[in-house]
Amino acid sequence: MSRNRISRKTFVASSAGAVAVASFPVFLPQRGRAADLIQIGASEEITGVYAEPARNEIRGMQMAVDQQNKSGGILSREVKLIVEDNANNPGTAVEKARKLIQVDKVNAMIGTVNSAVSQATSNVCLESTIPFIDTGGHTDSVTGSQCHWTSFRTCHSTWMETHATGYSIASKLGKKWYYLAPDYAFGHSLLDGYKDIEQKLGVTVVGEDLAPLGTSDFSAYLTKVLNAKPDVLIIMQQGQDLINALKQANSMGLLKRIPVAGPQGEIENFWSLPKEARVGYWGFEWYYKSPLVIGKSQAAADFIKQYTALYKQPPTARGVFGYVTAQRMMAAMDKAKGTDALKISQALSGEHFSGLWDGDAYYRDVDHQLIWPMWFGQVRPDGKNGDEWDIFDVIDAQPGDKVEKPADEQKSICKLNYPA
Amino acid sequence: MIEQLAPEIVNGIVLGAFFAIIAIGLSLIMNLTGTINLAHGSFMTLAGYLAFTLMSRGTNFWFALAASAICTAVIGLVVERLLISPLYKRVPLYSLLLTFGLSLVFEEVFRLIWGPSTVPFSAPAELSGATQIGDIVLPTYRLFIMAALVVVMIALLLFLYRTRIGLRLRGAVQDAEMLAALGTNTQLLYMTNFGLGILLAAIAGVLAAGLLGLGPTMGNDLLMPAFITVVIGGMGSLAGSIVGGLMVGLAISITTLYLPAASEVVMYILMAIVLLIRPRGLFGEEGIFG
Repeated sequence: MSRNRISRKTFVASSAGAVAVASFPVFLPQRGRAADLIQIGASEEITGVYAEPARNEIRGMQMAVDQQNKSGGILSREVKLIVEDNANNPGTAVEKARKLIQVDKVNAMIGTVNSAVSQATSNVCLESTIPFIDTGGHTDSVTGSQCHWTSFRTCHSTWMETHATGYSIASKLGKKWYYLAPDYAFGHSLLDGYKDIEQKLGVTVVGEDLAPLGTSDFSAYLTKVLNAKPDVLIIMQQGQDLINALKQANSMGLLKRIPVAGPQGEIENFWSLPKEARVGYWGFEWYYKSPLVIGKSQAAADFIKQYTALYKQPPTARGVFGYVTAQRMMAAMDKAKGTDALKISQALSGEHFSGLWDGDAYYRDVDHQLIWPMWFGQVRPDGKNGDEWDIFDVIDAQPGDKVEKPADEQKSICKLNYPA
Repeated sequence: MIEQLAPEIVNGIVLGAFFAIIAIGLSLIMNLTGTINLAHGSFMTLAGYLAFTLMSRGTNFWFALAASAICTAVIGLVVERLLISPLYKRVPLYSLLLTFGLSLVFEEVFRLIWGPSTVPFSAPAELSGATQIGDIVLPTYRLFIMAALVVVMIALLLFLYRTRIGLRLRGAVQDAEMLAALGTNTQLLYMTNFGLGILLAAIAGVLAAGLLGLGPTMGNDLLMPAFITVVIGGMGSLAGSIVGGLMVGLAISITTLYLPAASEVVMYILMAIVLLIRPRGLFGEEGIFG
């Protein structure tokens, strides 16, 4: 065999080529929209750090669509959900949204986990006059400074998350805080929310770090936290980043010395953690064993039963986001008697409905944010009463309208600009 | 100042040792057969998952570490014989594309078997917690990782310099045709070399799973810094991989302390500077085992 060594130049060029190939979006030809179908496009983070929450959102969406089709579809038309992977990247998300709208001719868009992706998708939907419900991207701007008449949001805003958890953190864990936040739209938005709490509660911030999204080694940040000796470390990371941070905090012994808390504790993340790292006080957006769900809503009981039977695990908040989002979009189409964006938007706005929890909910007409309860609680290492999935104890709950910015204040931030 | 900096230096060394061990595996494979193994990270992840599976069936961490590393190396050998070796006579682009495709296949297989989320992999209890050295508090598991990687590197050096197979491997890197003409079974050498590279990746993979979330992309997330380590250290240099790894690890850790926003980009800046000053990398001219 001949010598087959590679020059540095070949190596660098080949590696760059491979990375380029890996990041190039794949467009597969799809058949056009059948005239008798109503198509809903779902943009989700199927690959990347948010793959698990994205999968659960899709599960919820698909359940809602299947149920709708079983009961006759919308105006006797079958509903089809077309899912695209936005790869957790706003640029790719824009391309995929355009592909769904222009090539697949979807009638409406839903989805997203990553806040930056949510905002990018929301902007594309406005350009194309397509109704969009942000399923799970929390940044304030989607229903705040960059709100659009075509866009709505199901999950809570970061303002709601910080205000629902901030007061409880201060009273339960102390007022000397250290922030660890992801360095993108979601983290910045959460920090803004906590800044508001700081002033009201007289909180002292002893440290604040913004770690790039996708950080794998948090040891440098955690060492700074240990040196700063806060009353509580507020971790705002999500997905894989949160898992890495908690796992490494545990291995450094930090979890035994400093309490941790956060605005958003996704149960998927805690199921993925070793038991010794399942600690802390977190904001929860929905929980299947919450007193606000159990015995309070027949719809919730049915949803939990069906979801668990289908997917062999209980539904998470993400599953609820997907289910409620798809269900509300289809209900609005039904009410609007078609797929006209303006009529769908008007049908969604301000309409009260029974959710999968105690009490009703509505997309607020002033900014299109869904107003529904937010919970605070503590994570347990082990399940309870023979249910290995049940690792969260609800301590407190706040009604949605108490933790979101008042409508009057929001009017000056969000300009929906409906067409005349 | 020093209280803050000292733990970062230790963290940087641990991180750097990780990158170095992955980079050495990449370098070994690259230099002998010209294969740029983009599936290297997938073998790391595979080893982590195998260890997790063994541990969830009741075996202890140490057995799981050894057994999963050996199993992964064996799987690596099968892949090398069946898929990669037929491409040795072709330009490196073929094997690069093949291993890139393999990494995608591996990732999907991981998703199918172990799910898209991370699995709860724990480091052994005896290595949890922190060790106090003077005023500095260091995670025990990281100290263990550092020690383990040093042992692995020393073992590798002894293998390459004190055994006949090591001698032949070094000879094959210099001139494989001549070695074949002298009667050495070079295919066996290629296999040994590939298996060795994958064994190193597998050990790093299991150790990494104790620190990071063990999910389908864990190994691939560590691959880019490892490639940068290879470029900085110089292609084919064992010493270069070690020095390059430590430089990347330290740069990331120290930047995180003072300028977190730049912590991800600093390794690229470092690579650009090294390439501008010394395009072959720091140890690029000295040959693979120099």
